[in-house]
Amino acid sequence: MEQSFPTIGSAPPPSLGARLTSAEAQGATQELARLGAGLGLAALYGLALGARTGGVSLVQHALAASAGLAAVGVLGIPALFVLLALVDAPVSPGAMLSAGARSLASAGFVLAGLAPSAALLAVTIESPDAVAFVTRAGLTLAGGIGLVQLTSSVRTMLKDLPAERRLKCNALLFGFSLFAIMLAGRVWYTLPILKGAL
Amino acid sequence: MNSQVFAAFDELLRSPRAIAARSRGGGDLRPLFVASLSALVLGAGVFGATLATSRGGLQLLYSGVKLPLAMVVTMLLVVPAFHAIAAGLGRPLSFSGMIGLTLAAAGRGALVLVALSPLIWLSFDRGLSYHPGVLLAAACYALAGLAALDLVLRGVGLDARGLLIVSLFAGVLFAAGGQTAWMFRPFLGRPSAVSVPFFRARESSFWDAVQQSSLSSFGVYRVTRALSEAEGRVRSTQSEPAVEHSSESR
Repeated sequence: MEQSFPTIGSAPPPSLGARLTSAEAQGATQELARLGAGLGLAALYGLALGARTGGVSLVQHALAASAGLAAVGVLGIPALFVLLALVDAPVSPGAMLSAGARSLASAGFVLAGLAPSAALLAVTIESPDAVAFVTRAGLTLAGGIGLVQLTSSVRTMLKDLPAERRLKCNALLFGFSLFAIMLAGRVWYTLPILKGAL
Repeated sequence: MNSQVFAAFDELLRSPRAIAARSRGGGDLRPLFVASLSALVLGAGVFGATLATSRGGLQLLYSGVKLPLAMVVTMLLVVPAFHAIAAGLGRPLSFSGMIGLTLAAAGRGALVLVALSPLIWLSFDRGLSYHPGVLLAAACYALAGLAALDLVLRGVGLDARGLLIVSLFAGVLFAAGGQTAWMFRPFLGRPSAVSVPFFRARESSFWDAVQQSSLSSFGVYRVTRALSEAEGRVRSTQSEPAVEHSSESR
């Protein structure tokens, strides 16, 4: 059965989630603002984790949670653009900025949504291992959604390519995905709550 | 307004599709909010009090108050996650629509709990012991949860993406709801307990409790950490007489 869902245009005004995850490309300033909003929202998840011990830990976790996404945005997405351009994929800096901002904003938004539950679990569960597991699950969920958003946006740009070039681009996307997972994981593992310190 | 509330109450049971469409469409959701919240408070209250019939006394009142409270707190915690997951996976519903959908699902689940209350009462009345009682209650929660998730699935869309969104949301709901309920325990109360506390002190976690109840229902008892530390050693679970912390209850 065909179902109708409110889209960005049909539900005035669109929700924050709809604006952050919209596939519609905007100007560079708006995209940077979207990216910044995503990183800020990701910090809420860090704050929730830091509530386990409070104090400086709040800031440490907030910074580290955002830094994982920021690292992918700063180190990974420009590199992906260069590699895709090398195989003559029809990508532009603006389109890549839009795709990257959308994916990081989505991941940040999901982390912010998980923050209330994460705060409850981080504060009330005694076992450090169980809290670390919950933390990893939240980061994996948000990171996974962000990565899906990015790859689907890029694949949309590649849909008119000949099969051979599209295969090369998909291979690059796959490699980028692995790199992004490792990079975000590397940064996120600096979270004190994952190092067994708490 | 009253007639709209009663209509929404009826729809919660009979027509989840209409509830889902109403949540997606926006508009005036107040009748749905009122009907769902009433169903949640009433249903969970009745089920909570029924669970406490194994202990009786003040526990009836406490559980009748705490179970609805635990469900409302859980809703408050998980709605942002649901909203974010749905938006992140390409189904950005309005936040009020999300609240309506989640509240309606919780209300529907609570009504299922009401329907299961006589079974719980009869089981305890016929002598069902404590640990199997905990597992029976967990099975009732699972059934109610399925009825609730059915409504949620209709709200986000009956397709693969909708199923993925609901599955991820169910994971968050399970973790947050389980831990919230664990914090609000006891709901049954141990028959051997001398006093009836409103809240237990913080200890262990929901997941540990599930594991322990599962083992205990098969006659395998583990010593809690508090008791172990007091004795300075950990006992083997099967080679020695069964020992369990006297204040442990769910």
